[in-house]
Amino acid sequence: MTEPPAVTRAGAWVGGRAVSAPEAVRQAAGLLGRSRAAVVAGLGTDIAGARASVALAQAIGAAIDHMDADAALANLDVMRRAGWIVTTPLQARTRADAVLLVGPGLPAAWPDMVVRLALHDPPALVPDAARKLFHLGPGTDGPLAGAIAIEAPAERLLVPLAVLRALAAGRPTSLDSTAAAPLQNLAAALAQARFGVAVWAAGALDTLAVETLCGLIDDLNRTTRFAGLPLPAANNAEGVMQASAWATGFPFRTGFAGAVPVHDPWRFDARRMVASGEADAALWISAFAPTPPPWGDDVPTVALVAPGTEFRTPPAVLLEVGHPGIDHDSMLFNAALGGISFAAAASPRPTARVADTVAAIMAALQSC
Amino acid sequence: MLMRLAGGRIVDPAHGRDAVGDLWVQDGRVVAPPPAGAPADATHDVTGCIVMAGGIDIHSHIAGTNVNAARLLLPELRAGDAVASVPVTQTIGRLYAAMGFTTVVEPAISPHVATQAHLELADIPIIDTAILAVLGNDDFLLRLLERNEGKAAVADYAARVLGGSRAIGIKAINPGAAAAFKSNVRRFGLDDAVPGSAITSRAIINTLQAATETLGLAHPLHLHCSNLGMPGNAETALATMDAAGGARLHLAHLQFYAYGTEGKRGFSSAAPLLAEAVNARRNITADIGQVMFGQTVTVSSDVLRQFNARGQAHPRKSVILDGDGNGGGIVPYRYRRTDFYNAVQWAAGLELFLLIDDPWRVFFTTDHPNGAPFTAYPDLLALLMDRSLRAQHIETLPKDAMEVSTLAAITREYTIGEIAIMTRAAPARLLGLADRGHLGPGARADIAVYRPQADRAAMFRNAELVLKDGVPVMRAGQPVARPAGRGLAVRPGFDAAINRSLAAFYESTYGVAPTAFDVPAAETVGRAAPFETVPCRT
Ligand SMILES: [Zn+2]
Repeated sequence: MTEPPAVTRAGAWVGGRAVSAPEAVRQAAGLLGRSRAAVVAGLGTDIAGARASVALAQAIGAAIDHMDADAALANLDVMRRAGWIVTTPLQARTRADAVLLVGPGLPAAWPDMVVRLALHDPPALVPDAARKLFHLGPGTDGPLAGAIAIEAPAERLLVPLAVLRALAAGRPTSLDSTAAAPLQNLAAALAQARFGVAVWAAGALDTLAVETLCGLIDDLNRTTRFAGLPLPAANNAEGVMQASAWATGFPFRTGFAGAVPVHDPWRFDARRMVASGEADAALWISAFAPTPPPWGDDVPTVALVAPGTEFRTPPAVLLEVGHPGIDHDSMLFNAALGGISFAAAASPRPTARVADTVAAIMAALQSC
Repeated sequence: MLMRLAGGRIVDPAHGRDAVGDLWVQDGRVVAPPPAGAPADATHDVTGCIVMAGGIDIHSHIAGTNVNAARLLLPELRAGDAVASVPVTQTIGRLYAAMGFTTVVEPAISPHVATQAHLELADIPIIDTAILAVLGNDDFLLRLLERNEGKAAVADYAARVLGGSRAIGIKAINPGAAAAFKSNVRRFGLDDAVPGSAITSRAIINTLQAATETLGLAHPLHLHCSNLGMPGNAETALATMDAAGGARLHLAHLQFYAYGTEGKRGFSSAAPLLAEAVNARRNITADIGQVMFGQTVTVSSDVLRQFNARGQAHPRKSVILDGDGNGGGIVPYRYRRTDFYNAVQWAAGLELFLLIDDPWRVFFTTDHPNGAPFTAYPDLLALLMDRSLRAQHIETLPKDAMEVSTLAAITREYTIGEIAIMTRAAPARLLGLADRGHLGPGARADIAVYRPQADRAAMFRNAELVLKDGVPVMRAGQPVARPAGRGLAVRPGFDAAINRSLAAFYESTYGVAPTAFDVPAAETVGRAAPFETVPCRT
């Protein structure tokens, strides 16, 4: 048997009063162990933290949710409803002769995007090819300068995407020829691409817009090659989703109260569960940023958070955790590599990992 | 602790043993019987039972980004339930162990996503696992070939990839086709060249075969040929066997290439032709990829084939990934008993099992989950051992399908000894696992005990007793312990000069270091024990 890992170095508080970490762990285990309908939320953690959190949720019959679930599930809902054709950052970088940037939020979702995708260079593995850049969305300045821009308001991207899809498929649209001209030119350019890639940020497009864009990509593959590159949601949402899927068969917003897991994005939305009073306890995890839970003292909360997190009212139990990949070695979804990879601690510090803290709570459950 | 399995029928073809007797186990290993009269610390009475080494599955898609995409694509298949076509990690270990399987190879992991595969495998309890690393569509290999850098450079690169991705062998999947598909090629055969180069699929196969021999890998090149699933593709499989020359080659899921163009519908079983070809070539091994009827999902790194199969998706959705190297495709599919084509596929697979005469060179797979989930194994074993059971099934299938197959005329029934070869002794030999697949002194005490019964499928579904490393883990299908599994990998040596050219290529082409994709130490991916190194022959 492995000993529960020591989490004694972390700052720990119970009801706003500083205590030893083992005492906070005991209180957390008591609170969660007594709960009948808990939610493990936030889940801003690395793969090990996600695995431990899912195991804890399974052990106490709780539900799991992620603080960026809305963004992550907007993409996943399209994938699992209609399917999609996608590619990786490395393929986009080395092969795309046309890159269609869609919607707002791209530089924010991935500050290194322009450099990592080498957007201003020709694709390295396609001899003699140039790279054409297009941006369909709001704003044309900043790092996306240089792209052929088709201005479209962030909240109304569905319309130009639907028109673009119709034009690319040679179908009539309701727009007059002047209004349709920029999109007509774009449609023609996309059809001429040899390996085109459409990039969007998770959560920046609603599900219908994503579905329309993926439909456009699908249509283009009748005659040429085209693929999507959805940028992952923040706080390792993609990594947590992968770990949840291999461990439970489902992404977050899944409940483990019954004999089989139940996935229901509405029912297991932590915010809704707390607001409705369904949740009787919460474990909130945010290791990447000092983000408090989006509820106050509506529900007794155990918070595993980055140091410096400010709460409206002190949580029932607070345990500080380190920043994955900075304070300690970690496994994280890496947007630049398009997969889960090892992130060595950038400046190692003796802090508690989420995985260890959750494992300690889990171990303490038995003695409660 | 000295343990005795008393009075079972010990079936150990690696040692030519099939007799009632005792088997002794100590410290996780099979040991020679102690001097007469020495007492055992524990005795399991297995009188009347069959005792075999733990089963070894050489080809089952149980982990990695494509398999996990299938879980996310198909919530309606309920991966979290006990029996699903893409079960979750905990369930995979339990279901395999219940059937007496103790080692499983995930055969299609692109090196750039090997880390996730190992994270998943580390989560699978009880059974030991390994991956095959997929090469053949990767930019760096194609560049080595284009520049004629020579066999040594390819072997060094392959060794570097095997070490970095912690793999047990090399897989090639429709080599060249995924690269060609990125240039909008929609059909790609053995002698087609990757656009913009003179590199053919044939050349890639031969190059990787040579690398396998240079490195002394126990496992031969594991090949998924071109033209999978297409009528008349038996010609492709035959041409590929010829292309192998005299060198070792393993053909994956041969059933999916056993198709002729006979009959009114231009689709027939060509299994007899392929079986004859395999029988005549000692350098060839094959697993079958048997089709069994029911809903499943096809998960394949043959992205071109999966793209072309999208129209047959059931339910109607699919995921296509233009990935680094191979990428892949997830296409759900339902094999129907009433469907002519599916019935021909079912028959062709059984014909291959029954007509390939050397059980040391034919391997037991459904290409999980592509032909059927691995949970169909017990039913498949029963079919191989019982011709009257086959006849009952044939009765229920479309007559015109049975007319383009010879299955009904085949009388062979597999013996328990042949099953033990095909699922234990031969896979251990094929993978170079010297201490597995047999029950001689020194063998790892991975042991399956089955209680014979009229319903052979029931016998194989829930083994009476399963030991992993000498520890009872399953009793009558119920877990009694859940030890962590172990990861297996080769670590061939190589000339470090390849690291420099690889780094230069990665930095200038991808803007990242090749080491970014390396799988970290066992502990970091969540394994309790270090990877077990499978030795190379040189
Ligand atoms: Zn396969």
